[in-house]
Amino acid sequence: MTSATLPPKTASFAERGAAFVVRWGFIGVTVALIAFFVITEPNFRTVDNVFGMLKFIAPTAIAGLGVMLAITVGGIDLSVGASAGFAVSIAAWTMVIGNQVGAVAIGVVLLGGLLIGGLNAFLIVVARIPDLLATLATSFVIVGLKLLIVDGKSISSQMSLADGSTAPGKFTADYLWLDRGSLGPVPVPVIIFVVITALLWFILERTRWGRALYAVGANAEAARLAGIRVQLYRTIAYMGCGLLASIAGLLLGARIGQGDVSAGNSLLLDAVAVALVGVSVLGIGRPNAWGTALGAILIAVMVTGFTMVGLPYYAQDFGKGIVLLIALLFSFTFSRRRTVVTAGSTTSS
Amino acid sequence: MAISRRIPLLVLAATTVLALSACAQSNGTTSEASTDAPATASAALPAPFDGDPVKVALVRQSGAGDYFEAWGSGAAKQAKSANIDLTVTDARNDNAKQASDLEQAIASKPDAIIVDHGNTDTLQPLITKAVEEKIPVVVYDLALTDATGVVTTSQSDESMASGVLDQLIDDVGDGAKVGYVSATGYAALDRRAVVWNKYVADHKLDVVFSTGKVSESTATDNIPLVDAALKQNPDVKAIFAPYDEITKGVVQAVNQNNLGSKVKVYGIDISNADIEVITADGSPWVATSATDPSAVGAAVVRSLALKLAGQLDEDDVQFPAKTITQSFLTDNSIDNVTSLREKEPSLDLSDQVTADWLPANS
Repeated sequence: MTSATLPPKTASFAERGAAFVVRWGFIGVTVALIAFFVITEPNFRTVDNVFGMLKFIAPTAIAGLGVMLAITVGGIDLSVGASAGFAVSIAAWTMVIGNQVGAVAIGVVLLGGLLIGGLNAFLIVVARIPDLLATLATSFVIVGLKLLIVDGKSISSQMSLADGSTAPGKFTADYLWLDRGSLGPVPVPVIIFVVITALLWFILERTRWGRALYAVGANAEAARLAGIRVQLYRTIAYMGCGLLASIAGLLLGARIGQGDVSAGNSLLLDAVAVALVGVSVLGIGRPNAWGTALGAILIAVMVTGFTMVGLPYYAQDFGKGIVLLIALLFSFTFSRRRTVVTAGSTTSS
Repeated sequence: MAISRRIPLLVLAATTVLALSACAQSNGTTSEASTDAPATASAALPAPFDGDPVKVALVRQSGAGDYFEAWGSGAAKQAKSANIDLTVTDARNDNAKQASDLEQAIASKPDAIIVDHGNTDTLQPLITKAVEEKIPVVVYDLALTDATGVVTTSQSDESMASGVLDQLIDDVGDGAKVGYVSATGYAALDRRAVVWNKYVADHKLDVVFSTGKVSESTATDNIPLVDAALKQNPDVKAIFAPYDEITKGVVQAVNQNNLGSKVKVYGIDISNADIEVITADGSPWVATSATDPSAVGAAVVRSLALKLAGQLDEDDVQFPAKTITQSFLTDNSIDNVTSLREKEPSLDLSDQVTADWLPANS
């Protein structure tokens, strides 16, 4: 894991060239795309638009960071979209039907996220269900539970309840501030996004917990023999993922201003894509926080830029797919460090 | 490892990305290409349409389904003939995405914005922001709590629903067992629900089931819901499904329960595919309410154009609907919207929100 990134001195020119491309190719593509849009689209380079893009992608990026945590311990979490959608409905329910203030709703949602993460961890770590299957199953359970709680309805202020009365509460200003507020010119979601990225970077790269998480992902057996409490770290990673997914949901809920039952549906694939792109950025070949953030920014740049040049939305999916494919080629095919994936686990040797 | 052999692959990958961008560059306008010659204007375009193309952002909640596809192509066609450069975003029913789309549309400072459907709570603050930034806004089928400075347009849902429900009462009479398949939270469906509730009360209809949902594949997703409801209540006489994607699902569910001769289905909206379903042998779908979606999409763009030219008299524009029965379609052997428009000329809205420089073109 800690082997040098630079090729050995005996490497041929071609090998060094390939290593350079692996290390910088992805950032190069991002910078090239940004440069292209900056030159061709005057509206792209406005401060408004830069913050707009970051704000737009913040929930996806945060959910992607959650998936990254699961990948770090050699797993995957397919329930992040469902968890985020659950968060949207629960926040709405707490405020509109429960008539509570935003802070309470936020507390309930974060607790819910930890519980979902805990459930995933229990199924994977204790019940030993493969991660892909366990989180797929929980995502159905979470969506179903959400629909049961809200009677299948989108919760909005002034909605009429089953007994004919009108819902007492509404989305409070302090909650809506999570998405609609800003500190100076910087929107709140962007601040949350950057803080979480920096925090995860610090934990993963600068603390022994981070090294332990990577060790568990690289080789659980070796980690166990080295005295790392493997089960505990895997549990922490899944709970962290649940927590991050619920934070993504909080932002989505504040953006929609309604307990939209379909919220979060489209989040999962983007979040997983972002985390996978993150693995390849900088040729690191392992999940990392800045890479995931950069992957999210790349998606935001593409979606916004392609819209501005007038490419229809369905062509953007194709573009996203190509970028993900190239990222995977960098990770698995061209990289001198071999990135190994076994049934949903990604490690690099 | 012979890495050198992999270099060509890398080059290929890079070329793909470049080709993609090059393709983007040459594709400056999103107006869908149309082979038809545009209707000719009998007067020159006034300002601001007489210079560079007017940049308009169309922010859609969804562009999927026959109705929305036709709506979009009508809007694109009208935009083209009015020298409007239309940039379309489609949130695919993801309301958070639509909020971002609108936010980014505002940031790109277009000459005007059209918002097609959406959630009130989600979009109201952003629409207020656009108005504050002096960007003209036209909304279609979106209920606003504060419509100051906004041009609101809609199909007259009141006329659509009551026309079809009059037919329903004529067919099955007061007090009949009926079913209702719809969803809440969509402005148009909510307005139709108001009319429905009034008819239920006035005619003492016995509502034996209420179900339905709107999703990315609405027609398919409603089949199992209605199927279950029909298994429970096979004696239902009529079903009101006031949105054609839902109606199609209802028709399928009725057919697969072999209730086609016993249950009548009443829908709203029309498209080529809908006409095919309505006129199919033994189809239970007996009446629908129609506007021509492409004519409506075009009329929304015309409302915007008149507004920008300072020629729009009212800030709330409603497009009238016609009730179309199954027998009208079969008697006139109508099999698509074009021939329906010929037999029912009032559908093309060519007398609504037009000017001599702005003929209807959908």
